Amino acid sequence: MKKKKRAVPWLYSAPALILIGIVVVFPIIYTAYISFTNMNLYHWNDFHFIGLENYKRALLKADSGFLSAIGVTIIWTVVNMVVQLVLAYFIALGLNAKGLKLKRVYKTLLMFPWAMPAYVSILLWKVCMYNTEFGLLNQLVTALGGSKMNYLAENVPAFFACTILNLWMALPFMIMMIDGALQSVDGSYYESATLDGAGVWQKTWYITLPCIRPIIAPSAIMTTFTTFKQFDIVYLLTKQKGSLSGASIQTIITYAHQNAFVSNNYGLSSAVSILIFVIIIVFSVFTNRGLKEE
Amino acid sequence: MKRILSSLLCGCMIMGLMAGCGQTTASSTADNTEAKESGNDTVKNEDTTEIKIWHDGDEAIMGTIESDLNETLKADNITVSFEKKSGLTDQLQLYGNDAANGPDMYFYAHDSLGMLAEMGILAPISDVTDVDALDTDLNDMTVEATTYKETQYMIPVYFETLLFLYNKDLWEGEVPTTTDELYDYMTAHTDTDAGTYAVVNQHSTAYNVAPVINGFGGYIIDKDGNPGLNAVETKEAISYNQKFAELQADGDYNTVSTLFNEGNAAAIVGGPWLVSSINDAGINLGIKSLSEFTLPNGEALAPYSGVQGVGVMKYAAESKKDAVEKVLKAIAGEEVGVDLAVNNNCAPANEKAYENTEVTSNEMVQAIRKTADTAEPMPNIPQMSVMWGPTEEFLAAVNKSDADIDSAAEEYEQAAETAISDMQ
Repeated sequence: MKKKKRAVPWLYSAPALILIGIVVVFPIIYTAYISFTNMNLYHWNDFHFIGLENYKRALLKADSGFLSAIGVTIIWTVVNMVVQLVLAYFIALGLNAKGLKLKRVYKTLLMFPWAMPAYVSILLWKVCMYNTEFGLLNQLVTALGGSKMNYLAENVPAFFACTILNLWMALPFMIMMIDGALQSVDGSYYESATLDGAGVWQKTWYITLPCIRPIIAPSAIMTTFTTFKQFDIVYLLTKQKGSLSGASIQTIITYAHQNAFVSNNYGLSSAVSILIFVIIIVFSVFTNRGLKEE
Repeated sequence: MKRILSSLLCGCMIMGLMAGCGQTTASSTADNTEAKESGNDTVKNEDTTEIKIWHDGDEAIMGTIESDLNETLKADNITVSFEKKSGLTDQLQLYGNDAANGPDMYFYAHDSLGMLAEMGILAPISDVTDVDALDTDLNDMTVEATTYKETQYMIPVYFETLLFLYNKDLWEGEVPTTTDELYDYMTAHTDTDAGTYAVVNQHSTAYNVAPVINGFGGYIIDKDGNPGLNAVETKEAISYNQKFAELQADGDYNTVSTLFNEGNAAAIVGGPWLVSSINDAGINLGIKSLSEFTLPNGEALAPYSGVQGVGVMKYAAESKKDAVEKVLKAIAGEEVGVDLAVNNNCAPANEKAYENTEVTSNEMVQAIRKTADTAEPMPNIPQMSVMWGPTEEFLAAVNKSDADIDSAAEEYEQAAETAISDMQ
């Protein structure tokens, strides 16, 4: 009877578990298997086990390019997260200001960038904002008497161009989270703080931030995670096949893509994928621990 | 009752999930397939052999070939169907050994030939038919392009090269015959701040800079798979191209084609694939072959030529040999060539097609054919697939970021060598 009881939850979960096994677990196991073989263009049908050779090659690729890619990725993540949290906080505060009319309209409009498919947003920005001939920025510059600029040709301007786009795409989510968190703070705290003579900054520091922290922390950690492994923006703005911009900024994902996935060497690519997978797993273990503490 | 209902729904869901895993045999698919012939759907009889060709090209061009083949092969009870597959080479990597789900043949550019041949999924044409007899009427350059390691794996059908396309209403005087004169014209007729250009080109795309590189005697990769980005001639060519790039907008495909179509550029270096949008824009189009321009070293511009042709999957060469042979003979024939030239402005690989008066009077087809005199077939060795990246990064660094040519050449030569070694 006890055994039967134990089996029932497994039985109910079985279809979902089978599905997850086929869609998620099997590809990972198969990728790990391929990573130990020499499967490539020249050994398409006759590949064989070569041990850790691909891992050795993948780790030896950790040259200066890889190290600078890690550096860029860390700067990218920190800059984006700091700016995102600060901006989102103040925009959310503005949206919660007493007497603000058409709040719902503003909130709906702010959601647009988040609701749009990333691919479309990125290409729209590339053509409508940053394009040297038709982009809004150069239209403004030339209207003001300046010369056209290529915003994506050099590393520093391209980094900021990518950051601005990432903020545009990611801010709505953070604003929504902070907005929700702000509304959950009990108004009586502020009333008693006012009676005690607290100012705006004291209220923010001692009431608002501690109260909203448990709600914002998970979303901030999740966003940090997605920012860290960002690929689309940097790739589509600066490295799209056939229209390279000239900038050579690399995050670890674009670096891995460039160095491993265009070679048709599936053994090596799989080894790189597994290494990235391990990094992400370690990263998510830390983030989960952070979430539990919150 | 609830339990029964939920069990039933659960069962349905699992069946639905697993439905896609079922296998369909080739014969049953063939038996149940309806073929469109002459606009009417007719159920095929059991003797009909269906040949499935995957492509990633222009639907109108494939439509011309498909209808010609089906007309020619009607008497042989062979039906040919073209299916568009985006990312065709990736699809062939997945299904190239899968007789049940893969194609019998594929139609694509020749530059990925080496990669597919090395994978062992293609049958040499000589396994199916007498290749020498079939090549008699075919252009030599196209036959060379479709040959890898002295074995011919594709039958060339038509080929493309870059052309000098200009707006007759905007171009002042005669189109120059030397690149130096062209540069002088560009300097006099370009105002980058106003957004008006004499000539636009994808100046940081390897395919578009290849005419200059090849003309200077440089190379992106040689026949033995050695990259040549730091070769003296390649660097000279890229340095020469750099001054043109400064007068050609940002070199992005969408930007330059829009500039030309909107009348903000008097000429564009591009291929026949641009013509439909140019015609839609109502531009009075003039065409000049790139081989009619002479470089300062006295050599003509030598663009890459992309040869579009058909290859045979190994399993189809064994199981449907007779039908495949007939398809190859028909697709290499004069009739397909003429129709492609007349209907789609394609330059056919079949030389006899050029004897047709309608083909002779087609300005674009004749310009492409003329360019074939100096054009070089794109390298078809597998290493070429990893050369586009480093080459274009090199060009973008020089043209867009003002990188020093010598140091950039060394950096990207190294990147190319690494990319090639990563393939092994």
